[in-house]
Amino acid sequence: MFSFTKEQKIIDISGIHLGGQPGVNPTVLFGGFFFKGNADFNNAKKQLEEMYKLSKKTGNPAIPDFFIKKDELMVKIIDFIVENVPKNYPFSIDIIDPKLKIEILKILYDKKLLARTIYNSIHVGITDEEQDSLKKYTPEAVILVAFNPKDQSPDGKIEVLESGANLTSKGLLEIAKDIRIKKILVDTAAMAPGDNSGAAIAAIPVIKEEYGLPTGCAIHNVVEKSKWLHEFEIARKSVDASSNVNIPLFGGDFAIFGPVENINLVFPIIAWRDILISEYAENYFGIKPADFHPRRKLF
Amino acid sequence: MKNDYYPWGGDFNTCNPKGCIAVVILNIDYTPCKDVAIYGPLKTENIGIEKIIANIISNPHIRYLVVCGNEIRGHRSGSSLIALNKNGIDKHHRIIDAPGAIPYIENIDEKAIERFRSQIEIINLIDVTDKKQIDKKINECLHKSKPAFGKQYIAIRITPQVASLDDKRALHSKIIIDYLGKVKKRG
Repeated sequence: MFSFTKEQKIIDISGIHLGGQPGVNPTVLFGGFFFKGNADFNNAKKQLEEMYKLSKKTGNPAIPDFFIKKDELMVKIIDFIVENVPKNYPFSIDIIDPKLKIEILKILYDKKLLARTIYNSIHVGITDEEQDSLKKYTPEAVILVAFNPKDQSPDGKIEVLESGANLTSKGLLEIAKDIRIKKILVDTAAMAPGDNSGAAIAAIPVIKEEYGLPTGCAIHNVVEKSKWLHEFEIARKSVDASSNVNIPLFGGDFAIFGPVENINLVFPIIAWRDILISEYAENYFGIKPADFHPRRKLF
Repeated sequence: MKNDYYPWGGDFNTCNPKGCIAVVILNIDYTPCKDVAIYGPLKTENIGIEKIIANIISNPHIRYLVVCGNEIRGHRSGSSLIALNKNGIDKHHRIIDAPGAIPYIENIDEKAIERFRSQIEIINLIDVTDKKQIDKKINECLHKSKPAFGKQYIAIRITPQVASLDDKRALHSKIIIDYLGKVKKRG
């Protein structure tokens, strides 16, 4: 359990507070909505409502992360957001395809959703067209993914944030600054087992001390790629959900915890961890938890 | 998983060590015949491709690389692998004309890449999901029985320098954590 010397920036996205010294704000939980085949929006609606209920109960803010792979689903997913994510609640849009990333920004602008959008993500693969599009249609917040294909260590992650590691002409932080993005989150880029998977966790305190920015990651991806765990069917889901405790334990601010189906495990586990951290942080560093912290709700 | 023939490990299955075919399976449920040397999925257009290069040149018997199934959206890893074989990499280590999001080859040297490009003939079956059609192509390659490509080539993984610190409590060279848990920048 840590406290940082560097001043920590807290960003407010539609009332959700991200960042700060460990023990102040509860861990923000990004639940993944993946639409495969015939997208089941009715089920997604139920899961979304369930996630907000758990968020209210535990105090851990919930942000739905919409993973968009197919262009034919783009408009349908945006319509789902308009109809089902409560007004003024934030959400994140998670797209890999560079072409779709550009298209979605215009759609979000047309639907007047940019002020609630967390753009997931900017990384070293950013194109000039994507940068131009982001300048034109700027989202409220952006996640910078500190993935460095040649160096997965915390140093490599800092290198891409700082200089672009010769993969981009400048660092990701400067790119975000040029686009005039004010609210920046850093994702420490969890890698598969065998590719320095632990570095995503070790990098959290390093990046928070270096930049003071809200930091987290999708550590559950490492569990997903641990093929040997498939042999342990009962344990696998628990390992997946509990992998997220590493993030607040190392000072992190948010967890992109994977499929929303895991909410019933993830929310209580993280609330429990946040309470533990808060008790230590207050006793040792005098850091008081926010009014909506799990420690103030759960006894 | 690691073994002598495929020292870089990864998510794959091995069959006939002297088989002349490796199969990259994109987004489909398919198991090739036991006469192929190795098969497995490909997810990412960077580290995933590096492992394929290393694990193929370490077995000189492999002369064909069948890339089949539905392309991985966004990553476009199958097409990026084909672009690498066709065009190589530029001075920034980017695969030339690769359509993937982050198609950089950073952890394996250029000699290994060149060896891969010389050793392998790619059979492009991207967007082919009909198992019979894939089986047919694989059988055609098996019957061509190309000779082995000389000796095996063990690619060295280019890794960043390992930190050496006297401070056993340090989590990382850039920070110090005192006994209270207070994090400070080192130096």
